[in-house]
Amino acid sequence: MDPDLLVGALTAGSLYALVAMGFNILYRPTNVFNFAQGDLVMLGAMVGATFITLLGLPWFVGAVLAMLAVAALALLEEKVAVAPVLNRSATGHGWVITTLAVSMIFANVVGLCWGPDPIAVKPPWPLSTDTFEVLGANVSTYQIAIVAVTIVLVLGVEAFYATRPGKAVLAVAEDRDAALLRGINPNRLSSWSFFLGGGIAALTGVLAAPVLYASTGLGPALLLKGFASAAVGGIGNNRGALIAGYIIGLAEAIAASVLSPGYQLAATFAVMLVILLIRPHGLFGRPEARTV
Amino acid sequence: MSSRTRSALLVALAVVLYLAPFAVGTEYRLFIATQMAAYVLVAVGLNLLNGYGGQVSLGHGALVAIGAYAVAIATVDHHWSFWPAALLAMLAASAVGAVMALPAFRLSTWYFALITLGFAEVVGGLLTEWRELTHGFAGVVGVPKPVLFGHELSSLDLYWLALTLNIAALWGMANLLASRFGRALVGVRDNPVAATASGVSLVRIKMLAFVVSAAMAGLSGALYAVQKTVVTPDDFTADFSIFFLLVVVLGGAGRLWGPVVGAVVFFLVPELLAALQSWRMLIYGTALLFLMLYAPHGLVGAMDVGWQHLRKWLGLPAVTPPPVVATSRQTVEPVAGEALSVQGVEKRFGGVTALAGVSLEVAAGTTHAIVGPNGSGKTTLLNMISGFYPIDAGSILVDGRSVVGLAPHRIARRGVGRTFQTPRMLPALSVLDNILLGAYPAERQSALSATLRLPVARREQAASLADASRYLDFVGLADRAHEAAGELPHGQQRLAEIARALVGRPRLLLLDEPAAGLSLDELDRLGELIAAIGRLGTTVVIVEHHLELVANICSSVTVLERGAVLASGTPAEVFSHPQVVAAYMGTQAGVGQAAS
Repeated sequence: MDPDLLVGALTAGSLYALVAMGFNILYRPTNVFNFAQGDLVMLGAMVGATFITLLGLPWFVGAVLAMLAVAALALLEEKVAVAPVLNRSATGHGWVITTLAVSMIFANVVGLCWGPDPIAVKPPWPLSTDTFEVLGANVSTYQIAIVAVTIVLVLGVEAFYATRPGKAVLAVAEDRDAALLRGINPNRLSSWSFFLGGGIAALTGVLAAPVLYASTGLGPALLLKGFASAAVGGIGNNRGALIAGYIIGLAEAIAASVLSPGYQLAATFAVMLVILLIRPHGLFGRPEARTV
Repeated sequence: MSSRTRSALLVALAVVLYLAPFAVGTEYRLFIATQMAAYVLVAVGLNLLNGYGGQVSLGHGALVAIGAYAVAIATVDHHWSFWPAALLAMLAASAVGAVMALPAFRLSTWYFALITLGFAEVVGGLLTEWRELTHGFAGVVGVPKPVLFGHELSSLDLYWLALTLNIAALWGMANLLASRFGRALVGVRDNPVAATASGVSLVRIKMLAFVVSAAMAGLSGALYAVQKTVVTPDDFTADFSIFFLLVVVLGGAGRLWGPVVGAVVFFLVPELLAALQSWRMLIYGTALLFLMLYAPHGLVGAMDVGWQHLRKWLGLPAVTPPPVVATSRQTVEPVAGEALSVQGVEKRFGGVTALAGVSLEVAAGTTHAIVGPNGSGKTTLLNMISGFYPIDAGSILVDGRSVVGLAPHRIARRGVGRTFQTPRMLPALSVLDNILLGAYPAERQSALSATLRLPVARREQAASLADASRYLDFVGLADRAHEAAGELPHGQQRLAEIARALVGRPRLLLLDEPAAGLSLDELDRLGELIAAIGRLGTTVVIVEHHLELVANICSSVTVLERGAVLASGTPAEVFSHPQVVAAYMGTQAGVGQAAS
């Protein structure tokens, strides 16, 4: 196999895994799968690109500001579009349509504000997107950084779930009412998880911008590939999402080189469907216990 | 409005629509009206899936595209006639759709939404990529008009064809929704557990709704292709699927006429939308958000509420449907009860052992009670007999045949009915419809005969209605038949749930704490009811805390404590057993007994 292919697959796969982790962070305490997550990532990239490229702020300042801004928007989404629907029916699926509507609103408002042209973003010093050769593959220091940062973030988030507040999140996911009786406030956790999920989304967007460019097209593409990674890895399982992200990235890279770039999405989709057909709860997921 | 005046009004409306072109028809108006009719076809199908079944599809635009391309390619490249090509369009849309939907239907609802979204993207990409088949960006040009008896259909004929298809679709949809399939689908949306316990296979019923709606989308695509004569990838963007979702939500999801109203409103404001082309998706998104938050039943739902307010304001009496009367007083046919044998059943949840090797035998046609303190594993045992929890070890035989590993709806179809600790009703349906859901496993009619209202389906539906009315009367709820089940007080929901289980003529009935929360009056009725069920021959297993009730109606009792059998025998034996007394009265008594 072409070693360059592998590098591209690992980089793209890491970004998909980060999107999937954003889904999971939100999903765990709320059982809501945020359809606007792809657009939150896109917003992170756009806001970050505006601060860093257009306003010339230092990379880290721009990244933090973008994370705060997008986290606040995600919180707004939770208050306006998710909490009212969940209050009406905690088990209903009205949020599928409301978060989809939010996604459409975000995507189009960004389109109106920023226009269709992608913005190029430089990676932070001393990293660079210039490639050099290692073991026959062309690699850039920025690609290595993306892969490494993703692994650190996944392990960090997993470690959080082992702590007391982390366990509270898992408890709410398991049984909202029982957690309430134990003195956990599920509504506050929901708000927090949207805030954090928004922050992770923005970070993903800022990280992705130097390799994928910041543009409105980022949202739908990352929504679907992030979902594919989350589903293949097992919803709620971040380590699974990381492996699945690599699998999706690889499937995509192979499809592009063997077939044609036009068949990339179709091939990725087919891989996901086949895996879900054989293992409905993903490679590393477990079926949710049914409550009767 | 009586159903007679309603039918008369609908016939009059149809006649007006058929004749309207002679008075106001122009080529442009005919074009628009035909296009609207094609869209109504998609929306009516999507409403079945989304409104009634609760499955959000973001890929119906792609299914229309598949139908349109199937007809265009078959007629232009392969010189087929329109009619077989239209059939191909329906088959292609449902077959491709079914392959895509199968993995999603085994999982949570939102998987389906995302997978259909991905599907729409993939189809959109393939329309330009797969040039050998689709001719790429240029699309397929010169789709011929359909020919019928040597006569090429004019645009007026096409309008009539589309209108006829709409009327047929609405009629068939109304029939399907009124049948066992409609209730099962609402069950999937509102209470999957109740639907499963009534013998409904969730995957199959979702697949049925999806295939029907995909075939309608494919047919709509066929109309679209012959009407526009050109199909290009640009016709089927991502917005197209969202458009159909919005039509359904705007008109009223889960209301028969919702998609029609939604489509009409959309076509009445085209000028407005044309001016705001670049804002269109923003407007769609905002509209979807506001509708879901403030008008989840759309315009039709809002009109219903408004109409009721108006009647009240005008001082008109509320519309009351005719009361339910048990049509025949003949005795219910006896049931051949099934024996239950549970051997060494174990169940662990993580590190907690819920059942540690429980065995019990219930002879056919007897009434058996399972009693024990809270947390002793009684409900877990019922959940394992009815297949809701997988079993870790042991065997469960119903009527001598193992049910271990069977899906819960299959166990229900073997004649095992059950009720739940908290009544599982479909709150939006009437009490009568809730009870009719229980007849699902007993009915045999196919979806096709239900849609066409064939005599065989009508006869069966009439028989189920008679049955349901009788059981409704049996549990004393005849006068509340047409109320929404969610409005009933707790105790009555419990009785209604028992009636629902009975309509399916279970041979083994599992009742989970039926007496909890009942008034004294209702408790007496329950005792009589269970005794009567037993006399029919049904085997009854009842989990209950109310020991007096148990002593009165049961021939044998098993006592569970901490997941193990503490004692079993007749009520008299068991309730004088020292360890049972200890378990119920506290350890003090137990220590005393053990010492003596």
